Amino acid sequence: NNNDDVNNDNKPRLSVAVVGAGPAGFYASKYLTSSVLKRITQSTSSGDDDDDTHSTPFGFSGIDIDLIERLPTPYGLVRYGVAPDHPEVKNVENDFAALFNKQGESQNSSINFYGNVDVGKQIPLSKLQSLYDVVILAYGCQAADKRLNIPGEDTLEGVLSAREFVAWYNGHPEFQHIGPIVERCLWKKKSNTTNDDDITETSISPARVVVIGQGNVALDVARVLAKGKPGLIDTDTPTSVLNVLKGGVSHVSVVGRRGHVQGAFTIKELRELTKLDKEGHNVSFVVRKEELEMGMTDASMEELKGPGGRPKSRIDKLLQDNAVEEDAQSTDAEKSVEIRFLLNPTQLAPHESNLSKVGHVLCERTRLEGDPGKQRPVGTGEMEELPADLVLVSIGYRGMPLEGMEELDFFDSSSSTVVNEHGKLPGENNLFVTGWIKRGPTGIIGTNIMDAKDTVKSVMNYLETSVPVAGVESQGRDGLNDHLGAHDVKVVDWNQFLRIVSAEIDTTRLRSEAQPREKILAVSEMLNAAQR
Amino acid sequence: RSNIRAFSSKETVTITYCDPDGTEHPVEAEIGKHLLDVAHDNNIELEGACGGELACSTCHLVFEEEVYDTLPPKSDEEEDMLDLAFELTETSRLGCQIRVVKEFDGIKVRIPDDGY
Ligand SMILES: Cc1cc2nc3c(=O)[nH]c(=O)nc-3n(C[C@H](O)[C@H](O)[C@H](O)COP(=O)(O)OP(=O)(O)OC[C@H]3O[C@@H](n4cnc5c(N)ncnc54)[C@H](O)[C@@H]3O)c2cc1C
Ligand code: FES
Repeated sequence: NNNDDVNNDNKPRLSVAVVGAGPAGFYASKYLTSSVLKRITQSTSSGDDDDDTHSTPFGFSGIDIDLIERLPTPYGLVRYGVAPDHPEVKNVENDFAALFNKQGESQNSSINFYGNVDVGKQIPLSKLQSLYDVVILAYGCQAADKRLNIPGEDTLEGVLSAREFVAWYNGHPEFQHIGPIVERCLWKKKSNTTNDDDITETSISPARVVVIGQGNVALDVARVLAKGKPGLIDTDTPTSVLNVLKGGVSHVSVVGRRGHVQGAFTIKELRELTKLDKEGHNVSFVVRKEELEMGMTDASMEELKGPGGRPKSRIDKLLQDNAVEEDAQSTDAEKSVEIRFLLNPTQLAPHESNLSKVGHVLCERTRLEGDPGKQRPVGTGEMEELPADLVLVSIGYRGMPLEGMEELDFFDSSSSTVVNEHGKLPGENNLFVTGWIKRGPTGIIGTNIMDAKDTVKSVMNYLETSVPVAGVESQGRDGLNDHLGAHDVKVVDWNQFLRIVSAEIDTTRLRSEAQPREKILAVSEMLNAAQR
Repeated sequence: RSNIRAFSSKETVTITYCDPDGTEHPVEAEIGKHLLDVAHDNNIELEGACGGELACSTCHLVFEEEVYDTLPPKSDEEEDMLDLAFELTETSRLGCQIRVVKEFDGIKVRIPDDGY
């Protein structure tokens, strides 16, 4: 009614900057918008009836969110992390895009995309803080890796992190230099015996790849390597990547220092590996009975029975059903993925004939010691040498501070996350955090929903209890536009991003009708497409 | 009720979605539709990140025991995703896998509390 409108017109709209357009940034935007809109309705509906339980006034008449992303493209790890043969997981992009498609449904909210804007480099965090009422950090953990800290890790060619490898096969514009390294490792020419002509599009690489670590990312890279071009042809894996992988790799080992009950992978990804042969990928799955038995300590049995044991028991059963005796020939598949437990890599050793390249992974057999839930792998002294032409270290992504953040004590370097309580940074400021950079690089896409709700609750609480401190400039979107204009930043907005999408699905680029898109691999080319 | 019937050729039953905070949303659910889609048609806050492709578990719903017992069996794939669902119960299913049937008239399904 009239009164409310007058009332609301005098109130400012809440201005929010979200740093990072991955799942965390999108879910935070979605839930903050709905919470603020709900709150506005509550504060204005009070006059209509006698129920005044919600009649406390709210300081804002609407909400404007600016979603700032360093790449020209949104979606974070959904685009550049989730494996290309999991298009159903990437479906969540539609859900995120709906936030923009539904623009205009409510006069009281808006969301703008600022792609190709690197916070810290092109605009200081402190500047955002002074322009906006609320700043939410959602920039993820894609900039660094956890380290093994063993000899050879930094010095040998052919040792990559799974993070780099994944970003490459997903077409991330900053990781295309990984391709030639992988190519040298998989297709080294055996002096005079083989010449280039013998290698065809579907040749199977004789190389041995060792993946260190046993989370879902490790299983993803193993599967992608084993499938190769035939198994990925109908996905959005870039053609340049398929040309390196060719027919896939003959032998991939996924090595972990703990037992199968402690593995960090989930059953869906594991089941997929066990089915590769049945589904025609020419890849057998190998797990050794002995290693499952070694991992079945009394404490492991307790872990299977205990609370949260259901997923672990189902994984145990799946592995037991697929286990073979050592040396047993399981199928006549030409490629294999083997999962190895209770082996701790202690050294990456050079190749005999080329000392600058990796040749082996030296591992120590471990056994589990300790109480249920707290078992630790302890070295037994028994060593095993795994031949390796390529080593992918997959023990976790690691968060990094934004420029200027460390001095402010906002970053906890021991956990590699932003210091926070329920998503609010300590002290008198307007800073919040959500997603991987808040809780560390764990959990599935859905985990970011609860995480975002937790942070949004803190934002709402802050809006009720404090006078927003932004203050000094507080011009929100206009101020951001001014700053970026003055610094000549080539911003990619949502419509321009959609032009990049159109370019990527242009049929002239696609290798088949089934291929969802051929990603553009260079930022400069994305910017060109955005201008068209 | 009769008015709605008159305008729609589709047969519906009334089911109630219960929010984590206890709020109840009775809706007319078209027979044959998945519970995830029914929720979205009615602006109920139930996520469906993968669009019903059994790849996310964000559409997790909790059923009354008598109703749960009548549901079609779970596939391995649904079990696998339920392993990742938050606040899993003995009567949990994924909303994108369950179609509305005539017998659902009057039932309640609960959206699990994710703590917030
Ligand atoms: C290889 C891999 C596979 C995965 N597969 C699955 C799966 O199949 N299913 C599943 O449920 N989950 C999967 N996950 C987990 C899921 O991807 C994460 O839970 C989720 O992406 C985390 O969201 P986030 O927004 O915190 O981080 P991100 O997705 O990393 O998003 C952060 C965004 O911030 C941007 N950014 C970084 N720095 C800046 C800056 N300075 N300025 C502006 N923007 C910046 C980044 O470019 C990025 O777009 C996978 C993860 C990985 C690593
Ligand atoms: S919507 Fe993803 S599993 Fe149901």
